[in-house]
Amino acid sequence: MLIAISLDEDLDAARFCAREETTVPLTYPVLIDRDHAWAEAYGVNNVPATIWVDEHDRVVRPPAMAPADDKFIEFTKISADIHHEALRAWVADDVAPMTDDEIRARRPAPDPQLQLARAERRLAMHLLRGGFEDLGNAHLEAALALAPDDWTIHRGSMPVRGKDPFGQDFFEFYERWEAAGRPGYDS
Amino acid sequence: MTVTLVVDGDAREVQGDTRDGSILVTPDALAAATGWALKPEGLCRGDVCVPRHGLGDVLVDDMVDVVAFGAALGRPVAFEPAAGIAVLAESPDDIATTIAEGGAPAFTLPDLDGNPVSLADFAGKKKLLLAWSSW
Repeated sequence: MLIAISLDEDLDAARFCAREETTVPLTYPVLIDRDHAWAEAYGVNNVPATIWVDEHDRVVRPPAMAPADDKFIEFTKISADIHHEALRAWVADDVAPMTDDEIRARRPAPDPQLQLARAERRLAMHLLRGGFEDLGNAHLEAALALAPDDWTIHRGSMPVRGKDPFGQDFFEFYERWEAAGRPGYDS
Repeated sequence: MTVTLVVDGDAREVQGDTRDGSILVTPDALAAATGWALKPEGLCRGDVCVPRHGLGDVLVDDMVDVVAFGAALGRPVAFEPAAGIAVLAESPDDIATTIAEGGAPAFTLPDLDGNPVSLADFAGKKKLLLAWSSW
């Protein structure tokens, strides 16, 4: 069972991507986590990421970058094939992808500063939706300062900050993040 | 007056006040949003209580200071008095407990048409949750 969950602030952008910019019919639910409450509860800090949940609602593979193909392998350094093979083995033959210790090691709890950054981001989005542009931007800057290397907070807010998540702004963020040692990225 | 209290992505307009740069809500509003209720022994949820002597600045007259409440429970709070809104985050300790237990946190989210969908709707199945975005 595939469940796709969008982290978009712009609901029309999410609908357009899911319905228009796809070559396969929508046979699975597409949900919207505009407030990132789901993402935060699961520890998702970038897209695309997958989480495997078994029949008993236990996490058997924590959030990890899961590219559908190798189009961006230069950036992700993750081959899609390895992920696909492990997924087939789990679905068809119940092969657990990780031990419990590996799962815990790859599912770190957030530190208080990251949680505050997430709260500031959520506050900023509520303010911006309510028309408080200056206050919203100020709290967004606070979130970015608290978590400068968090993809979901930084890249995810580029559209509302008038920045290009696929252009120069992305490359500047990427280079700074890579120079910092690719923090939060252990796929 | 009313203020906006955001908990787990749920925004509620509740009875409250902004005073001296802080956000205050009524105990009833806090209980409805968080499950923490003001009782004679202190602030309690289920069997767990923070005793009154440990509440410090949480109680202001007959109201609850949301920022002080967050501090007492280890839950970060982002707030903006000029707009009367406070966002209460989950505590890192609570998230660590969930991780240690290995469970998948329950959730209910709207689909593209606004219909609510829950993890529990797919009980007994293997699920691949895919986080994606247009950006």
